[in-house]
Amino acid sequence: MVNDGAPADADVVAQVLGGDGEAFGILIRRYEPGLLRFATRMLGNPDAAADAVAESLVRAYRHLAQCRDASRLRSWLYRITGNRCRSHLARRQTNDISLSDAPPPALADGSDLWAVLERNEQVALVERALAALPAEKREAFVLKHVEGMSYEEMAAVTGARIPTLKMRVHRAREALLAALEEVVR
Amino acid sequence: MSPIDLRLQEALDGERGPGELPADLGEAYARLISAAQLLAATPPASVAARVMAAIRQPPVPVQTEGPMRRLVRWLARPRAVTVRLRPAWTLALAVGLAAILSLPFVPGFGRTPGAAEGVANFVGHFPGARSVEVVGSFNNWSRGTLHLSDHDHDGVWRGGTVLPAGQHEYMFVVDGERWVPDPLAGRYVDDGFGAGQQNSLLIVRPVAALP
Repeated sequence: MVNDGAPADADVVAQVLGGDGEAFGILIRRYEPGLLRFATRMLGNPDAAADAVAESLVRAYRHLAQCRDASRLRSWLYRITGNRCRSHLARRQTNDISLSDAPPPALADGSDLWAVLERNEQVALVERALAALPAEKREAFVLKHVEGMSYEEMAAVTGARIPTLKMRVHRAREALLAALEEVVR
Repeated sequence: MSPIDLRLQEALDGERGPGELPADLGEAYARLISAAQLLAATPPASVAARVMAAIRQPPVPVQTEGPMRRLVRWLARPRAVTVRLRPAWTLALAVGLAAILSLPFVPGFGRTPGAAEGVANFVGHFPGARSVEVVGSFNNWSRGTLHLSDHDHDGVWRGGTVLPAGQHEYMFVVDGERWVPDPLAGRYVDDGFGAGQQNSLLIVRPVAALP
């Protein structure tokens, strides 16, 4: 994912490996939002997600020479972050995540308070439904529908086979739809 | 939870236009897409500053000096020598390793270890290799700081350095391009990248703790 005029990932990686460590900031700015979003949805806690992403980015920097295909850096970074999230969940010895300590999104200046509250309520509802999914299905749904990845890229991120990933996404959709319909009734 | 219509799955996978769905499936489609959009809000936090601060910390320096100076150091100081053996090679290499261990020369020592430091020896069997070096958590996984030597061209590459006491992850880089774990390490940890590869693990004991 490169904006017009921005250096390609492979060029930035070569720059960093050539000794310009500050250039790694370009990659952080490029991928941090998606990684934080992914980790937050996986862990359900913004602080734990920030820790996981920070650890992942430091690790990625330290092992950048081991990224065999810099043109697939995004997949590599998501893979490292996904592993960190799984380790974090394993330490908690459960795939369930708690959203109780997650702060609500900040209100924008001049926004319609009621509209924002309603939206926050909807977000909380969807987050609860997502949190109820097993980690593998949660990860598959988030990568597919929140991060917008293809099944091929998801396979590179998770190491799972494409038919397996399709099945996880399908099951996640069914579970989410059932949970959302339950609330509507 | 019941299976949802295959047409809905196909539409969500982009294999079918949502406009082709009947009304009830179209409603379910819209509900799931809306849910995904609600989840797509980017958290306001940023970790850029702390990541950059962490990576600006310099790696542990690995110094080198001449063989005579190393020999003097070796003769003058107590040594903590860590040697890792794999049983399958032990028999074949027993004579060679015994000779190596008895040599009063351990290449790669940078300096005399301090109280909280120890000496790590690396030995690898890479017949035909043109170069072997060690990269690890102690040198920021950077190449060019710790080269092993094979002076007698028997395929056994060896070298050593002073490292802070504690646990270090490392790998050998053979011929500048092939990253391989140390088959003699005995301990390994997952490299964290999910491909099932492992880094070798080295535990350096502080000189002060040695008898």
